[in-house]
Amino acid sequence: MTRRRKSIAGVLALVALAAAPLFLSSFTISLLDYIGVYALVAIGLALLTGVGGIVSFGQAAFVGVGAYATAWASALAGYSPWVGLALAIVLTCGVAAVLGATTLRLQGHFLSLSTLAWGLAIGFLFGNVEGLGNFSGISSIPPIRIGSLALTESAQIYYLIWGVVAASLVALSNLLNSRAGRAIRALRGGNVLVESLGIDSFRTKLAAFVIAALLAALSGWLYAHMSRFVSPATFDAGMGIEYLMMAMVGGQGSLIGGVVGASIITFLKNSIQDYLPLISPGASGQLEVVAFSAIFILFLQRARRGIVPYIVDRLPKASEPVDESAADLPKRRQPPAGRTILSVDQVVRRFGGLTAVNLVSFEVRAAEILGLIGPNGAGKSTMFNLCTGALPMDSGAIAFAGEPIRRMPQRAIARAGVSRTFQHVKLRPRMSVIDNVLLGAHTRTKAGIAAGMLRLDRSEEASARKEAQAQLQRVGLGDVLFEEAGNLPLGKQRLVEIARALAADPVLLVLDEPAAGLRRNEKMALAELLRSLRADGLTILLVEHDMEFVMSLVDRIVVMDFGSKLCEGLPAEIRADPRVQEAYLGSLA
Amino acid sequence: MSFDIAAILAVDGVSNGAIYALVAIGTVLLFSVTRVMFVPFGDLAAFTALTLAALDGGKRPGTVALVAILAALAFSMEAFALLRAGRRRDLPKAALYYLLVPGVLAAIVGVAAPLHPPLPVRLLLALMAVTPIAPLLDRIVFRPVADAPVLLLLIIAVALHFALVGLGLLFFGPEGVRTEPLTSGSLEIFGTTISGQTVLIVVAALALSGLLYVCFDYTLVGKALRAVSSNRTGARLMGIRPARAGAIAYILGSVLAGVSGILIAPVNTIFYDSGFLIGLKAFVGAIIGGLYSYPGAALGALFVGLLESFASFESSSLKDVIVFSLLVPILMWRSIASLHLEEDDEE
Amino acid sequence: MNKLYGLALAAMVGAAPAHAQIKVGFVTSLSGPAAALGIPYAKGMAAAQSYNAKVGDQSVTVIQLDDGSDPSAATRNARKLVEEDKVDILIGTATAPSSIAMSTVANELHVPYIAVSPIKVDVTDPKTQWTIAVPQPPVLMGKVISDRMKRDGVKTIGFIGFSDAWGDLVYAGAKAAEARGEIKVLTNERYTRTDTSVTAQILRVVAAKPDGVLDGGSSTQAALPLLALAERGYKGKTYGLASLVNADFIRVGGKAAEGVQVCTGPVIVSDQLPADHYAKKISGDFRAAYEKVNGGQPTDGFAAYSFDAWLIFTNAANRALGKAKPGTQEFRAALRDAMLSTKDLAGTQGLYTFRPGEGYGVDEHSLVVVTLKDGKWAYTP
Repeated sequence: MTRRRKSIAGVLALVALAAAPLFLSSFTISLLDYIGVYALVAIGLALLTGVGGIVSFGQAAFVGVGAYATAWASALAGYSPWVGLALAIVLTCGVAAVLGATTLRLQGHFLSLSTLAWGLAIGFLFGNVEGLGNFSGISSIPPIRIGSLALTESAQIYYLIWGVVAASLVALSNLLNSRAGRAIRALRGGNVLVESLGIDSFRTKLAAFVIAALLAALSGWLYAHMSRFVSPATFDAGMGIEYLMMAMVGGQGSLIGGVVGASIITFLKNSIQDYLPLISPGASGQLEVVAFSAIFILFLQRARRGIVPYIVDRLPKASEPVDESAADLPKRRQPPAGRTILSVDQVVRRFGGLTAVNLVSFEVRAAEILGLIGPNGAGKSTMFNLCTGALPMDSGAIAFAGEPIRRMPQRAIARAGVSRTFQHVKLRPRMSVIDNVLLGAHTRTKAGIAAGMLRLDRSEEASARKEAQAQLQRVGLGDVLFEEAGNLPLGKQRLVEIARALAADPVLLVLDEPAAGLRRNEKMALAELLRSLRADGLTILLVEHDMEFVMSLVDRIVVMDFGSKLCEGLPAEIRADPRVQEAYLGSLA
Repeated sequence: MSFDIAAILAVDGVSNGAIYALVAIGTVLLFSVTRVMFVPFGDLAAFTALTLAALDGGKRPGTVALVAILAALAFSMEAFALLRAGRRRDLPKAALYYLLVPGVLAAIVGVAAPLHPPLPVRLLLALMAVTPIAPLLDRIVFRPVADAPVLLLLIIAVALHFALVGLGLLFFGPEGVRTEPLTSGSLEIFGTTISGQTVLIVVAALALSGLLYVCFDYTLVGKALRAVSSNRTGARLMGIRPARAGAIAYILGSVLAGVSGILIAPVNTIFYDSGFLIGLKAFVGAIIGGLYSYPGAALGALFVGLLESFASFESSSLKDVIVFSLLVPILMWRSIASLHLEEDDEE
Repeated sequence: MNKLYGLALAAMVGAAPAHAQIKVGFVTSLSGPAAALGIPYAKGMAAAQSYNAKVGDQSVTVIQLDDGSDPSAATRNARKLVEEDKVDILIGTATAPSSIAMSTVANELHVPYIAVSPIKVDVTDPKTQWTIAVPQPPVLMGKVISDRMKRDGVKTIGFIGFSDAWGDLVYAGAKAAEARGEIKVLTNERYTRTDTSVTAQILRVVAAKPDGVLDGGSSTQAALPLLALAERGYKGKTYGLASLVNADFIRVGGKAAEGVQVCTGPVIVSDQLPADHYAKKISGDFRAAYEKVNGGQPTDGFAAYSFDAWLIFTNAANRALGKAKPGTQEFRAALRDAMLSTKDLAGTQGLYTFRPGEGYGVDEHSLVVVTLKDGKWAYTP
């Protein structure tokens, strides 16, 4: 689907939505109101969980905070619902920011469990706050007024609800196609890659978390003024789980999936209520929850990724052409050839009792290719991770362009001009090739979340896309821009990683075994590419296993063995060095 | 707060904590073998209590019908899978495991129930009725997604819990039950009376967590079961069948849930949905203990019980808020404690 | 009924089908935490239908939906019943929050609604009042029970109740009595239905040394505080409201529950009432109908509330039938007017007289005090 077709589909959907109240029964409209309110939360979860990989069981608590905020403001304190809206947003986002700041550093299922914990805690809190109606809740909440029109009927508030849903969908899908959104998409799959790209993974998570909470607040606000009554039971942990179900049924990573999931679950519940009494007249109430859970389990067993991705996979891929006339991204001035770029001085790193890197020193100079070699377990990869800041060192010093990097987080080192690839390729397999490469350009662009949502970033975005395309062409992948990265063969995936590193306009390119798993002709092409990069003034540090590949390519070689530097010199000297031969033969024997 | 009150609260906390500990141990057992955070564990304990109550009253417990339905479902799923794989020869074995054994157990309970046998027999019957449930649910719900990520399994477990609560209401009705006490003795410590039943629970929690700790860390079977959770493929290569290991864990877990249910029913009013909060608090305890260690889980659960008891005294209405809020800092501590160089989990 | 067809055939909306009968929408909690209340409500409704299935010559259809103890499901159900099934009247549901939610819908869509849970009915403008509530308001119960406390010489009480809407209501009733200067409430301890222990809360209550304890729990778990009190050797008097009347409460509470005085509707002890009591005959009819439909005797008061709701409805519908045809908005309005002019209608739980501007239709005569003696409720006037 091209962007144009997408827009047409969107407009058609809007027209259908706008016309719905003319055709549908008023109860169906009521149901659609609920679906819209639920969908807002589910869209937020689609972003947070589906896209960002952060599973939250606690969204219902945020809906509750939003709903209670506006209920208090409008029903008890006598302000307008619009003041309630402001209060709902500020309060919910504030709570989310505090919770996010404390919990988002948790890992894996610890994070999800913490959302369950605070979701429960906040849920229990609502009924115990004096002045919020305790367990009986707050009734007589006034309707929202637009001018003199009070939105009391379900068909009236329908337009407001679905307007908010549509606006949220547009804003978030814009966001996902922008710089900040790509960072969120990159979260799923771990922090190592994200930080190496110069992206602050924690702040990115926090942003996604607060955006999801914001949508929950909007949902709570609409809910309070739609049902005109709030009470604690509506925002308990069970509802939090149901929101998650909606997002999962709709589909991982798909915003529309939130709407689809909310619709399916709401209609499903409604139909179960209609049909079960026909099958089992006596026990329909008890069976409802059983039937509902059974259908949900069956769904998770059979179609884990959800409905929307299942359909989208069968549609033609989006391929918005790259604008060739866009301005170039600003480029760094490469340092003059021969200047010391990276200096490693007496560096030590221990893992428990094992000294993986022991008093190693070497230098990398501008516009050279330095090979770091050694047998298995020599400490090459550790050394590599120390240079890029992925691991802290125990003692010694590493300076990049004269600056010590000891205290710098990995992402700051990346921003300073160190780009890396990974021994085990780290791409985001569900993102397109060009989007993967665009991640590399993150540090060269500036557009924030708001700019992304409102599409104020388009000229910068066009420049970045042009750059990404250029880098992909440079590595010979100009023809697979819009493929899913995970569908490429390994050799091409390695090249995508190099293009991604190049898109950051690095000073120093650090390659971790780039030739591993490549076929002979692919290795030759890779060597050719690296030579041409050197010719363009780029500095390359290469950690490699394949001696033949290294010898023919690099300017100088550092050999490591058992964590220490064995020797250093030109390829020919190294080849002749008996110590090196012994180390390699020894390791072979 | 005087010493007297603190002592009473402490005893109360320990006796509640011991209940959570029993459930927490079971949760850890199932998690460490199957990677499933078996949320419905508490439900199984509640079902046992409700079954026992029905037996006490000389009524046929709803569990009988439940097991029969589950057995039929599990067998038809297994039979379908076998036929599709062309393994017609394995059908009789599947019928034995999934149909005959649970069916016979349920039938015995169904026949014996109206006879109102003596208490020890009733306990045995209650256990017999509940034990097949978890292994059958494993076959129906978790086996088809055995290789799924932990999180998906968790979500499925939550959905399963909702289904079980619905079934519980259907088969046992909405009212709460208490069963006859197993012992009427009592004990005096710090001037506080402790009922024999409480002592039983605490002893059982300690003994079972110790037993499982020894089993899993020092016996071959235990190690094999553990291996399955950390690396399914590796375990398979070593000749351990994950499905069978899972089945063993679920049977063990079922028995554990049954024992918990039998022990707590005389001191607590148990409803069809009592399992959730008990399970959740046990779960908190298990997490405090690190989710892999039995003594750790038992201690964590005791801590939750004590915390709850003292929190109830300070502010009874905010007790649950306190207990669950406290989980957040504990999780942070746990997350840091288990910090490892991050291995990326791909989707 | 089917929403999918509803969507497909949406264009046909507007042509409302002809109604040949009166339709009642009944919502209750058949699942979720309030199922222990919701299921008796449903049984009471079934008994009521068998007791009196017709209004005049019109047959009555009841459409029953489960709200899962969730107020937003109650809202949806209410809307569905009104907008889709075109019911003439709503009755329900098992919890106060869900009932308030239904009341909001009823007021908005102009459908008469009989709440079977105690709620604060919004009567700020009698013209927009579409809701009445059947049960005795907790404040009234508080009054009756505090009168009893006064008679017993109890001046201070400790309160322990559920941390839910019911607990709030009972506490509010006690506080109202305190405001009148009748008693002093020393504690406000709470517990949840699924709690395993209330020892800590009871320690607080006992430490306050109250003359009596008011139990704001419900059904089986209302026994928990009484058990803990007995364990702590508390010797004072214990009191409760109608929610304690439950067979499992007696069974679980055992000895510890003996002597608890409960303020409840007359139906609980109808066999012990004097022959001329207004509730004597109708309670007998209710019990007979209940036994016929559900087998066994009702053991709590909840079923009786939905039975009474039905009595109020059929009584009002008889009068409204002359004014308009069922299925029309005019009939709903007539039904409301008839409901709000109910006078001296004898029910199992009270003698109902409704007036516009008032949510409840009962006074102190709708309540009796009963004492648990030897596992049976004894009428103690």
